Amino acid sequence: METDTRRVLVTGASQGIGLALVRHFLAQGHQVVGVARGEATLAAERYLHVQGDVSSEPDVAALFAEVRARLGGLDALVNNAGLASMNQVALMPYDAARRIVEVNLLGVFLCTRAGIRVLRHSPAGRIVNLTTVAVPLRLEGEAMYAASKSAVEEFTRVVAREVGGLGITCNAVGPGPVRTRLTAKVPERLLDALVKRQAIPRWSTEADVINVVDFFLSPASGMITGQVVYLGGIG
Amino acid sequence: MDEQAIQRIVLGAIESANRGRRPEEQLAVAPDAVLYGHGSPLDSLGLVALLIDIEEALQDEGLTVTLTDASAMSETTSPFRSVPNLVRHVLNRIPG
Repeated sequence: METDTRRVLVTGASQGIGLALVRHFLAQGHQVVGVARGEATLAAERYLHVQGDVSSEPDVAALFAEVRARLGGLDALVNNAGLASMNQVALMPYDAARRIVEVNLLGVFLCTRAGIRVLRHSPAGRIVNLTTVAVPLRLEGEAMYAASKSAVEEFTRVVAREVGGLGITCNAVGPGPVRTRLTAKVPERLLDALVKRQAIPRWSTEADVINVVDFFLSPASGMITGQVVYLGGIG
Repeated sequence: MDEQAIQRIVLGAIESANRGRRPEEQLAVAPDAVLYGHGSPLDSLGLVALLIDIEEALQDEGLTVTLTDASAMSETTSPFRSVPNLVRHVLNRIPG
């Protein structure tokens, strides 16, 4: 990754932070693969959209076969795809809880497992996972979401140790509330209350997240691994 | 896929691994070579990389095989100890 052009895979690429990351990487001249369950929400010369479910083992196998065939390798994987379902544990349907774990945790596992196999051939392989301030804030109403992301954080730290010798770093960024479809389902007053608990009491933006992802992806960040960075002064 | 074909894949993966290893850490490329433990220079990270290479070579042949799971790790004699052990292990893992 000594040159400016990188091959980047973003999961959950059709909306929100994922889509913003795709646009950002394309603007930087990178080759980008995006995966989402839905169809592509943008078209660009250096963008390849793959429809698939990150929690499906066959879908992830097909995704990485496409990455190998079309890009010949990969320099960075951003595990952004995630689900939330605001509900008290006492009222939460089992299927909703299971789906959160499947996408938020097992999806990260599947993409990371497949990703390591290609990233190890990169001169500076990078894995970045998305977490949330709901973990350190122990956000009531988001128990399964926060638990799944807490698991992602520990996964990040352990994977960092496993892949360090392969020249790959693994880190996580945890934004506060960002105005996306994910947060649109949560009552505004709850999110405002959450924001007030931050040292910097404002909503996070996609640009705030991109800034941290860029830092992790930088070739100069080869000694930064196993770290979780929260936005807004939490933790 | 027969035993000879698998042995070719395993030895090819070892040769490929050697290209990225220092001269004093070269692995023996032979059908009866010791692979892991017993003074072999292959560490756990090197073993992981080697197993990934073998799984990918098998995938290129249309075979999806997982070489490491709980049963492989709990076997009394490690399936990764030597080339013959590993070849046998791969054979046992190939479906059908």
